Amino acid sequence: MRKYHLVRRADSKIGRTIIFYAVGILVSLLIGAVILMALGINPFDYYGKMFTIGLVGNRYGYKSIEGFLKIFVPLLITSLALGLSFKMRFWNIGGEGEFLIGAITASVIAFNSSGIPNFVTVLLMCLAAMISSGIIGIAIAALKVKFNTNETLMTLMINYIMLYVIRYIGETKADWNFFLREDSERPKFGTFPDSAVMTGIPLGQFKLLWSVIIAIVLTVIVYIYLKYTKQGYEISVVGDSSATAKYAGMSVGKIVLRTMFISSAMIGLAAALTVSASGTISDTVTNNVGWTGIIVAWLSKLSVPAIFVTSILISILQYGCQAAATQYPAIDSNYADLLQGLILFSVLVADFAANFKIVKKEDAKNA
Amino acid sequence: MLEVFTLFLFNIIVYNIPLLYGTTGEIMIEKSGSLNLGVEGTMAIGAVAGYLVGVKADNLFVAVLVSFIASGLVGLLFSFLTVTLQANQNVTGLTITTFGVAFYYFIGNALANSEGGWPRMNGTKLAEQSQALEIPGLSKIPFIGEALFSHGILVYLGVIIAILMWLYFNKTVPGLKLRAIGENPGAADSLGVNVTFYKYAHIIAGSGIMGIGGLYMGLNMGGTFEGSNCWINGYGWISIALVIFANWSPAKALLGTLVFGFFNTLRVQNAALAYAFPNALGWLTKIPSHFFSALPFIITLIVLIASSLSSKKKSGEPQAIGRNYYREDR
Repeated sequence: MRKYHLVRRADSKIGRTIIFYAVGILVSLLIGAVILMALGINPFDYYGKMFTIGLVGNRYGYKSIEGFLKIFVPLLITSLALGLSFKMRFWNIGGEGEFLIGAITASVIAFNSSGIPNFVTVLLMCLAAMISSGIIGIAIAALKVKFNTNETLMTLMINYIMLYVIRYIGETKADWNFFLREDSERPKFGTFPDSAVMTGIPLGQFKLLWSVIIAIVLTVIVYIYLKYTKQGYEISVVGDSSATAKYAGMSVGKIVLRTMFISSAMIGLAAALTVSASGTISDTVTNNVGWTGIIVAWLSKLSVPAIFVTSILISILQYGCQAAATQYPAIDSNYADLLQGLILFSVLVADFAANFKIVKKEDAKNA
Repeated sequence: MLEVFTLFLFNIIVYNIPLLYGTTGEIMIEKSGSLNLGVEGTMAIGAVAGYLVGVKADNLFVAVLVSFIASGLVGLLFSFLTVTLQANQNVTGLTITTFGVAFYYFIGNALANSEGGWPRMNGTKLAEQSQALEIPGLSKIPFIGEALFSHGILVYLGVIIAILMWLYFNKTVPGLKLRAIGENPGAADSLGVNVTFYKYAHIIAGSGIMGIGGLYMGLNMGGTFEGSNCWINGYGWISIALVIFANWSPAKALLGTLVFGFFNTLRVQNAALAYAFPNALGWLTKIPSHFFSALPFIITLIVLIASSLSSKKKSGEPQAIGRNYYREDR
């Protein structure tokens, strides 16, 4: 007989969770510091550089903000979208693939948009990307609902199929291929005409792109949608127990289809905004948001405000690593991924500690 | 003519054996009811750890052992988080991939930028020991002998592991208990099987096997580190696909490795084949290499959908896969 066993805590206090999470993140930063010291780098200097994303003592500080936002916007929207499907316990890990589909569709419009007003082009790009990504989402959801096909593995396959599609487009010189530059011998993605490049509100030298504003508005909408609408409530019921949802008279299939459409369409939107903001497409356009978004959504326990904060933190981590790389050539951007992994591992431990407790067998019987 | 075919067959095996390691390792884990999406990262960590220590010790056996242990430790982390701490398997596995690949690059770049540079294996005993062994007699069989029976020792080890694993699952009592856990951990638990121990043991062993596959990839590339290309190069993901294609059977994994390897080799050698047989195979050069790269994933997607459509439920997929087992919820 084992003497101790695990019991789920009956109460879950938000304060306790936050403290445990903070300790977890601190521990992972400490491990990161040990790695830095092993390479002969002062961790205080490095972390200082990283967390200020190159803002301090930089005449062109606004560029750092712009660089940070370029990482932040797609990550935030993708994490929100993945969070929606995870809330339903639908394992959409196809963020990468859905993002690529959206990016390709948006680029088709962008490359053929000369002469069309900017506002119209960007709107069309967003709509087309949302529809094309959304259709893939619906198709996967339909297979899951009708035939119980494993959605985790299906979405995983889509990621890689789409990766090779975009590489094919990017590496094939042909008459039909309007994605590539005409003036280059070697295959190289072209740049969008001005009509397809995201504009913004100039604030001095800094330009606040519309995509940033859209992302923030979208966050508020998703928050309201989940918290105050019937559809949002249905998602959480299906997530808790699809049997309960069925007995309550909900049409589970319809809810899954609808939510997966919204989830994938949002990722498509993130892709359209990203390609429009950068004015081009590439096979690394996703910047791994499909994967990072999963980590962000999970670190945030699928709460919308937490996703917003966590996206900021992870974007600082990633952009900060790039910014610090100019001074620390030995530490490349992989350090951000390494830290991200460490943070998730320690937060998983922290989450456990916050939700379970170890009790002695006898005590458990009395309880 | 024949040389082209022999070389083709030879290459199928030489370049795709890591898939067999990755797949059999993942099958072992999935049979215990856990879905570990961290194959790519687990292989990367095993590869870099095994290689670096192996070069230092200048011994292949040490390299294999270290890669098994290093990846086994990653498996231990996965087991601890998902079995003991009940963390979500998808998220944990994906993070292991992110972490493992980043670890590979980070260590590699740090060493490459250091004074000594990235350690090379040219001219070491390690290189000598990983060279092809011609199996006496068999390697002299015309046409296929050279393709099948003149490989490095790790190729044979991979095949032996697959065969032993098949025997283990189907002919031994622990294998039966393991499959029972994968189907219904609650039922297995009530019959007195130590679910936690079985899960830990098989996740660690499966991860360790993947690590050897990673090491093999590194050795096969002559141990050169490139800052932009990971040794594993997506093979971990293809392995996850191959598990489905092989219907969770180590024996079929052998066959599946040859099938996926066939397309993979076609991608690399399409020009050579088209040149050797311009009339019969000239069309090969018209197919973009990306298509062959994507083919494993396309095939797997089709297999996934087809097997869920078919009314015969003969799938080898463990019923409890991906769900954590928490005793109190029983």
